[in-house]
Amino acid sequence: MAPVFFFIAALGAIAGAIGVVVLRHPLYSVLSLVFHLLSLAALFLLLRAEFVAAAQVVVYAGAVMVLYVFVVAYVGGTQEPVDLPGGARARLLSFGVVGLLLVELLIATLGSGLSAVGEEGAAYEPGFGSPAQIGELLLTDFLLAFEVSSFLLLIAAVGAVVLARRRGGVDDGEVEGRISVAQLLAPEGLGSMAESVSGRSGVTDEPEGRG
Amino acid sequence: MTTLLAQAKIEGPEIDWAGLSPLIALIGGSVIVLLLGLFRARPVREHLVPFVALAAIGAALGLTIWQWGENVDLIRGAMRLDDLTLALTGLFCAAGIATVLLSWRHIAPRESAHGEFYSLLLASLAGMVVLVGATDLITLFLGLELLSIPLYVLCATEMRREGALESGLKYLIIGSVGSATLLFGTAFIYGAAGSTNFAEIAAAIADEGISDSALLLTGVGLAVIGLAFKASVAPFHQWTPDVYEGAPTPVTAFMAVATKVAAIGITLRLFDVALIGVSDVWQPAIAILAAITIIVGNVGALGQSSLKRMLAYSGVAQAGYLLAGVVVASQAGVEAAVFYLAAYTVMNLAAFAVIVARQAQRPDGDDIGALRGLGTERPLLAWPLTLAMLGLAGFPLTAGFIGKFALIQASVEGDYTWLGVMIVIGSMISLGYYLKVVATMWMTSSPEPGEAKPAGIAPGPPVMAGGSPEADDARAPWEVVLVGGVFGLLILAIGVYPQPLFDLAQDAAASLSGLL
Repeated sequence: MAPVFFFIAALGAIAGAIGVVVLRHPLYSVLSLVFHLLSLAALFLLLRAEFVAAAQVVVYAGAVMVLYVFVVAYVGGTQEPVDLPGGARARLLSFGVVGLLLVELLIATLGSGLSAVGEEGAAYEPGFGSPAQIGELLLTDFLLAFEVSSFLLLIAAVGAVVLARRRGGVDDGEVEGRISVAQLLAPEGLGSMAESVSGRSGVTDEPEGRG
Repeated sequence: MTTLLAQAKIEGPEIDWAGLSPLIALIGGSVIVLLLGLFRARPVREHLVPFVALAAIGAALGLTIWQWGENVDLIRGAMRLDDLTLALTGLFCAAGIATVLLSWRHIAPRESAHGEFYSLLLASLAGMVVLVGATDLITLFLGLELLSIPLYVLCATEMRREGALESGLKYLIIGSVGSATLLFGTAFIYGAAGSTNFAEIAAAIADEGISDSALLLTGVGLAVIGLAFKASVAPFHQWTPDVYEGAPTPVTAFMAVATKVAAIGITLRLFDVALIGVSDVWQPAIAILAAITIIVGNVGALGQSSLKRMLAYSGVAQAGYLLAGVVVASQAGVEAAVFYLAAYTVMNLAAFAVIVARQAQRPDGDDIGALRGLGTERPLLAWPLTLAMLGLAGFPLTAGFIGKFALIQASVEGDYTWLGVMIVIGSMISLGYYLKVVATMWMTSSPEPGEAKPAGIAPGPPVMAGGSPEADDARAPWEVVLVGGVFGLLILAIGVYPQPLFDLAQDAAASLSGLL
């Protein structure tokens, strides 16, 4: 039974992925991506990685996709369908490159992967893929990776804030935002977080001393 | 429940705090700097923050020197602290210190807020240390991301300048393609070898006869391409000139130097440790990439008038030279690559310091025309740039000459004589643009006072430079000149007396014990 489910889920994943790039309407692309992610979750289930499958559904197919839908709705997905830039030559070239990559990957996966279809696969140990085992691995063998990724997330958030607030890049005309007591007490242009969120610049309108 | 908890007794991994200390210094510094940036007082943000960043990098450098000679695995083989890691960490710290000094009075930290700017810089440094020490595919990928993500943001920090956001976005998209390719490749390697640990991958290749498995070879190919994106190896280099030009110059200096050191460093470790068993497959592939890179980089640099673009193409060419040290897969190759990385760091930092200084003086400081008459007017700036250009071209008595000599020797010994010949040909082509810069500085007279400020640029302080209005706009910030001077002198010092650096490089190479 497992091979049947495998091929259903695998074809679903590929169809979903193709749908994401082929469909012109952004909302359909997002829905196609949801389908793709659900198929991936089914593949994880076949690998007996229940926790990863559940996380895939909850986090990606659930939370992240809701965010995507919001963005599409906010930006206005119902307008002009997305058209690809670039001329015919660029498109032909990209198809050529992707085709070569496809051939290479097919050789790699068919050459070694197909021979494994009829087999039992790796032995299953009780407890494999459970939250307890994953947690144990994160705190033992992959402790460094765990810690580094937490720092990576922090830095990614900092970077997103830096890019999103565009300090000094906003015209003074479009500034007015929320006002708090702390803002009124502090002089302008200090570079505080509240100031950057409201878009007030700290660079243009003050003399720059050499300290 | 309590009984369950009591039974669940798991031995935590042994943590070698001393071995991790350089990394901890950088990460801790990054967090402290981020918090310091929230203070309101101007002097705190403009001077204390970069100073603390400098202190953190200095501490990391000190701890690196303290740990020299230790060869230990950290946290169950996730990372390895050996002399190769430490030598490259030293280079990162040098690049980091120079970058902090170059951006001290630059506009970029002011536009993105000081705390965040220096915090991102330190995080990127930490990512580089993780990357070059990685002995596990997962650590490798996380290190690469921790290196790249702060850099994507740093590239775009000069937001009001045209091209800054474009630079950041371009780097983000192309860098992500590179990361995805590498991740795909590592997944294939894991699928073939059944482990993410470098030593276990090497053992699997040696024992289980998977060296001709299509899965492994595809993984190796994708990993080569992914790393080639990061090291800007042709034909995956197209992003380099645009990103270098659009990024703030101190960040460009950091990217040009430290990212390349990190990318070449992990290439050395991944291919010479984990994938040494399939070296007959990747050696010719990387050799061909290196040859293409040398030609494309050097020819591309010929027509550039922007110094940053020229140095970008020159960096591409230098990556080609450096790959020669990877290709031969020998101790001599690693030694030559580490030596040349050090020389490359020193030469590029000197050159970029002069560009930063020039940009602080005049708005078109990036253009080669801004160097006219520099030799007679400001020898303090002209000399470091001259030495850097001669060094990059490989003139005798400079660090570049010794480095290229070592690389060529390693390629000849490793039966890749034709690659050595390519390095020589590339160096000959490169004279065409390096000497143009030198000639512009020393052999042309400075423009008339009337045309010193080109038409169309409003008087007043230059918009994109770090100069302050009340300062004499002909004076470059002293710390920038200092960086140029120190690294300029180092080019000469290494060129005249290379033995100490050779000893360090030899120690670093000896830590990859699987090589001949």
